[in-house]
Amino acid sequence: MENSKLGQEMKPVDVKKIKEMLNLKKGKMKRYLSHCAHCSLCAESCFLYMAHHKDPQYMPAYKAIHSLGTLYKKKGKVDRKLLTKMKGIVWRNCVLCGRCYCPIGIHIPSMITFARSILRSQEVYPQPDEVSAESWL
Amino acid sequence: MYDFIQGQLVSIAFVIFILGLIFQIFKFFKLTKKKEWSYPPGEVKREKKTAGQWVAFCLASLNGTLWKTDPLLTVVTLVFHVFLILVPIFLLGHNILLDQSWGLSLWSLPESITDILTLVFLICVAFFLGRRLFLSRVRAITTVYDYLILLIVAAPFLTGYFAYHQWFNYDTVMTLHILAGEVMLITIPFTKLGHMLFFFLYRFLIGNEYSFARGERVW
Repeated sequence: MENSKLGQEMKPVDVKKIKEMLNLKKGKMKRYLSHCAHCSLCAESCFLYMAHHKDPQYMPAYKAIHSLGTLYKKKGKVDRKLLTKMKGIVWRNCVLCGRCYCPIGIHIPSMITFARSILRSQEVYPQPDEVSAESWL
Repeated sequence: MYDFIQGQLVSIAFVIFILGLIFQIFKFFKLTKKKEWSYPPGEVKREKKTAGQWVAFCLASLNGTLWKTDPLLTVVTLVFHVFLILVPIFLLGHNILLDQSWGLSLWSLPESITDILTLVFLICVAFFLGRRLFLSRVRAITTVYDYLILLIVAAPFLTGYFAYHQWFNYDTVMTLHILAGEVMLITIPFTKLGHMLFFFLYRFLIGNEYSFARGERVW
């Protein structure tokens, strides 16, 4: 198992595939990302934000901007280290409960879901035997 | 240069603003499609309420909104957005210009009132700026772009306030005021300010838990 995990980590990121996926939902996601007024009003609707003593990194907008937003900003040119960082954001920091509220009407769960799909296409997802100080499994 | 800003650029800005909005609406309808199914109509009949019950119901409903979590921001943001639209439309100076060029004008507010409303608007801008600077949760997602957008929105009101009170060089301030208004109009359809249009599209047309209407479209 350790070897296969190592193999995954060594595997180069398929930028072309990420770009293809990003382009699939570009019209919707780019609009969502650009219309986010960065008002932070979604914060209190997230139970994880409230449970973590109002730590800003659990805010729904923060999670969407620092996962899907980064992917669009970098046009898919990301390395595995960054993808692994995003893994924590979209799987550990968000449980996709769908309770996040946006005054403008941006559907944040669909952005996190899309970021998860892109990460999964690069074989970046929580492993069942993952052991870390921040393990959520 | 001054002639261009005060003449042709005004028309160009309005054309870009209106065509930009039409383009965005067109794109929105192209990207979304009508849902093949919709929620069944509610079977529970609404009870008739007396006026008192209705007011109590509305007040109780407010507890489920942002009014409960952040009442100050709710008031400030409401005032900010209402004044942003109302003040320029019902400003006496703007209506005189409209009358001179097109021969039609809207009802105008007295200048002393619009002066106070502009000041209140600028205080709201200062509140938003303060939030961006000092609240950690807002700072966590703030970029330089956010400050620029706030400046684009505040600039026409700030220069307009200066021009009304004839502070600094009147002609320069007036030219800057017109330029600031044009920049705002041009940027609305293509930037974060697009939420002016998309707020209605997202909250009324897209099927969502928080839709104001039935929301029969999906992406």
